[in-house]
Amino acid sequence: MALLLALPAASPAFSLGSLAEPAPLLLAEKALLLALILTCAWLFWRRFGVVVARIRASRKDPNFSLAPIAPRVRDFVWEVLCQAKVIRERPLPGLAHAFVFWGFLAFALVTLNHFAVGFGFPFLSSTGIFGRFYFAFAACFAVTCAISIAALFVRRFLIQPVWLARVGHKISWESGLIAGLIFTLMATYLASFLVPDGSPSATILWWAHTLSLLVFLPLVPHTKHLHLILSPLTVFLSRGGFSRIPPLVGDEDFGLVTGRDLTQLVSLQAYSCVECGRCTEHCPAANTGKALNPKEIILGLRSYLNDLGPTSEEPLLGKYISQEAVFQCTTCGACEYQCPVGIEHLPIIIGLRRGATNTGTWEDDYAGKLFNAMERNSNALGLSALDRDKFIQKQAFPIFDGSQDYCLWLGCMGGYDPNGREIVSSFAEVMNYLGTSYGVLRKEKCTGDPARRLGNDLVFQMLAEANLEALKQNKVKKIVTICPHCVRTIQEDWKEFGTPPEVEHHSEFLARHQARLPRNPSQDSVVFHDPCYLDRYRGITEEPRQIAALAGPLVEAEQSHQRSFCCGAGGGLAFLGEEHGERVSQVRTAQLTATGASTIAAACPFCNSMLRDALADSGPNPPQLLDIAQIAAASLPPKSDPTQP
Amino acid sequence: MKIIVAIKQVPERDARIRIDAAGKWIDLQDIEVALNESDAYALEEALQLKEAQGGEVVAISVGPERAGQTIREALAKGADRGIHVEVSDPDALTNLDSLAIARLLASAIRDEQPDLVLTGLQSDDLGFGQTGVILAELLGIPHATLILKTEVTSTGIRVLRELEDGWFQHIDMPTPALLTIQSGTNKLRYATLMGIKRAKMKELRAVTADLASVAPVLVRDRVTLPSKQRTTEILTGTPAEAAQKLVDKLQAEARVL
Ligand code: SF4
Ligand code: SF4
Repeated sequence: MALLLALPAASPAFSLGSLAEPAPLLLAEKALLLALILTCAWLFWRRFGVVVARIRASRKDPNFSLAPIAPRVRDFVWEVLCQAKVIRERPLPGLAHAFVFWGFLAFALVTLNHFAVGFGFPFLSSTGIFGRFYFAFAACFAVTCAISIAALFVRRFLIQPVWLARVGHKISWESGLIAGLIFTLMATYLASFLVPDGSPSATILWWAHTLSLLVFLPLVPHTKHLHLILSPLTVFLSRGGFSRIPPLVGDEDFGLVTGRDLTQLVSLQAYSCVECGRCTEHCPAANTGKALNPKEIILGLRSYLNDLGPTSEEPLLGKYISQEAVFQCTTCGACEYQCPVGIEHLPIIIGLRRGATNTGTWEDDYAGKLFNAMERNSNALGLSALDRDKFIQKQAFPIFDGSQDYCLWLGCMGGYDPNGREIVSSFAEVMNYLGTSYGVLRKEKCTGDPARRLGNDLVFQMLAEANLEALKQNKVKKIVTICPHCVRTIQEDWKEFGTPPEVEHHSEFLARHQARLPRNPSQDSVVFHDPCYLDRYRGITEEPRQIAALAGPLVEAEQSHQRSFCCGAGGGLAFLGEEHGERVSQVRTAQLTATGASTIAAACPFCNSMLRDALADSGPNPPQLLDIAQIAAASLPPKSDPTQP
Repeated sequence: MKIIVAIKQVPERDARIRIDAAGKWIDLQDIEVALNESDAYALEEALQLKEAQGGEVVAISVGPERAGQTIREALAKGADRGIHVEVSDPDALTNLDSLAIARLLASAIRDEQPDLVLTGLQSDDLGFGQTGVILAELLGIPHATLILKTEVTSTGIRVLRELEDGWFQHIDMPTPALLTIQSGTNKLRYATLMGIKRAKMKELRAVTADLASVAPVLVRDRVTLPSKQRTTEILTGTPAEAAQKLVDKLQAEARVL
C-alpha cells in the first residue's frame, strides 16, 4: 500500500484521470503470462471440473422443466442482478455485498481488456471516448467495491457475527485472503489512474493486478466463493414456489436415502451454499438449543458429495447429517425464505425425512402412534370419527350437498380439538351473519399434512387420494378452512394425486367481507402472530391483520410478517412429544407478550394450541389469546339483535 | 425360528354397524375393515422375535377375498410370507365357529412345522378368545394365553402372563408352543411405503378352505345392537343426605357394595 501511495510523487509526468497501461511486455513476459494463465486455469478446473462432474452425475430431477421461463428470468433479475434478497434481509452487509457484486460485473470488461493489454491487443483505449468513459465508470464501482469489501472484512474478522461461523470450525482464513485480493484488485486499478502511461509503476501495478486475478481464480472453486459461479445458476434453476416437494418416481424411490437419491438440483444447491448462516440465524430449532442447524444440513450434503460422491450407497443420515436434527425441523420455512442463493431447504429436509420414514429406519414412539392413528382413524388426533359427528350435530352445521357456495373444511383441529372447535364455531357464526351458504362434509379425513412433512408418503397418499375422491363425489368447488396447514396441503401437496378444488384460508374470506363486519375496537392493543403456513407458504400477512384490527390498535412483535418466528407445531412436531432445550412456543410467546398487547391474535389452530400452552406458564395476567375468527365473531351484534339479517 | 401368526380381519372400530337381513350377524357390505388389534400386537411380537433371533414370520388368515389386504399389510410390516385360507361364500363364513376356524388353520399350518404360533388374545368382533387355544390342542402343542412378554431360552421360551388383579406369572415352556398375545404390550411399528412395495413381491399363497371337514358346532341364533339407555340421576339434598342416598343406591340398585 505504501508503494502505491508513493507512486504519483515518484513519477511527476502522469496525466490524472486516464488509466495507465504498462510498457509493452517482452516476449518472455508474454510467455510467462500465458504460462501463468494456463496454470491457474488448470488449477481452477482441477477442482471446478470435479464439482461439475458430481452435479452432473447426480440423478436427474423428476418433473423438472425450464418452462415457464418468465418467473425464472424475473427471479434472476430480482435476486441475482438486483441482489434484492441479499439486501432486504440484512440491509447493511447486504448492500456492501451488492456493491462488491456490481463491482465485479462492471469489471468483467475491464478484466478482459487487462489481459488483452498484456498480449498487446487492447480493445478499450484509455484515450478513446468509450474507453475513457468506461474506465471512469468502472473506477466508481471500484471505489464502492473497495470500501464495501473492507467493511465486510471488518465485520467478519472484528465483529464476528456468530452465524458466519461454522460449528466446530475456525474462522475461515480464505475469506480474509479473498477480501484482501479483491481489495488489491480495486486498489491497483484505481492507482493506475495516478501513474503515467508506460511507466515502471504502471507495469508494477499491472502485474500486481494480474497476479491478484490469477490467485483469485483457482481459489474460487476451492472455497465457498464457488457461489460466485454457481448461485446465479441455482437461483435460475430452482424449483420455484415454496417448499415444492418432488414426486417419488418408480418403485425404488423413497426419498433421500443414499447418495444415489441426490438429484442434480440438490447437488447444485449443496455446492452453492455461501455459508452466510442466514438460514440458521432465523431457524427456530437452532435458536432454542436443538441439534438442527439448517446450514450444517446443506454443508453435510456437500461433505457427503465431496467424500463419497453422488453414486454412493452409504446412507445420507448418520455421519454427515444427523437424523435427530432432521426430525427437529418445524418446516417453518424461514431458512428457505432467507437463503440468498436459492437453496430450497424444505424439499431437502423433507426428502431426508421421507428417506428415513418410508424405509422404516426412523423409530419414534410418538410417530408410530401418530401414523397408526392417521391410518386407522384418519385423523391425527387418533379419535373416533363419531366424535366429529357429534360435534357437527351439536353445532347444527349444515351438511354439504353441492348446492352451497363453500365447503367448510374442519380439519383435525377444527373437528376434534376443543379449541379448534371453538374457532370453527366462531367462523361459522360469522358466515351465518354474512349469509354465506356453506356446508361441512359428513366424513372428512386428515389432509395428511403431518404425514407429508414427516416423510410418510404411504399415509399421505392414502389420505390425499381418499379426500380428493370424496370431494369429487360431493362436487365441492370451493373450500374455506381455519387451518393454514390444510390450505397448503390441499392446494399444493395434493396436486401430486389429482386436481384439488379451490381453497382459501378464513383470513382471506373474512378480509374480503370486512366491510360488512361491525367494528367496535377497544383501546387495548392487539398483536398478530403470523403462522408460517400463511406468511411464508402463502404470502398472506395483511388479510388477518385487517381482521385482528377489529379488536383494537395493532402492534408488531419483534419478528413479524414473513420474518415471523414459528410457534413450534409445524412439520408434525405438535405430535412428537417434548422438545429438547427451550420450547419454541415459549420463545415466541415471550416475543408476543413483550409488545404489551392485551390480545394475541392467531390464525391457525396449531399456533393457537402451542401459544395457549406457553401462555399458561408465562406468569400472571397473560394476554388473552383469540383466533381472528373469534375476534370477528365477538364484534357481531348479540343473537337477539333485530338488526341481524 | 419359524413363527406363524394367525391374524383376522375385523370391522374397523369406527365402522357404522348394521344388523344384516337375517338378523344373524352384522351387514358386512361396504364396511371398513382393519387388522384385529391384538393380532397386530401378536405380529409385532413375532417380528421382534425374528429381528432378535433370525428366522421367518408367516402370516395366516381365514377369510373372504378381501382378507388378502390384511395379509398384505402384515407382509408390508415385515412378515416374510402369507397364507390365505379363502372362504368365498359369505354365509358359510358367517357360520364358522372358533372350532371350525381353528381346524382350517391347523390343516394349513401343520406341514409348516413352526417353532411358535402366535395369535391375538381375542377378536374385536366375536371376542370368544378360543381360536388360539383350540388351535394349540389340534396341533398337539402346549399353549399359554394373555402373554405380555416373551424371551427365548436355551430350552424353549419364557413368557410373562397377565393374571387378574395386577398379578403376573412367569412360565417356562418348551417349543413348539402357541401363545395368545395381549394388546398394548409393544409399540406397534408403522407401515411404510417401502414395506408396501416390497410386500407386492412376497409370496401370498391362497388355499381353498375345505368347509366340508369343519362343520361348526356352535350356532348363532340372533345378534342385536346394544340398547342405549341413559339413566342419569342427580341426587339432591345436603352433602350428607346426598351421600346417604348414593350409598343406598349403590347397595340396593347397583349392588356393588
Ligand atoms: S424450516 Fe424452520 S425449523 Fe426447519 S430448518 Fe428451516 S428454519 Fe429451521
Ligand atoms: S443455505 Fe443459504 S442461507 Fe444457509 S448458509 Fe447456505 S447460503 Fe446462507
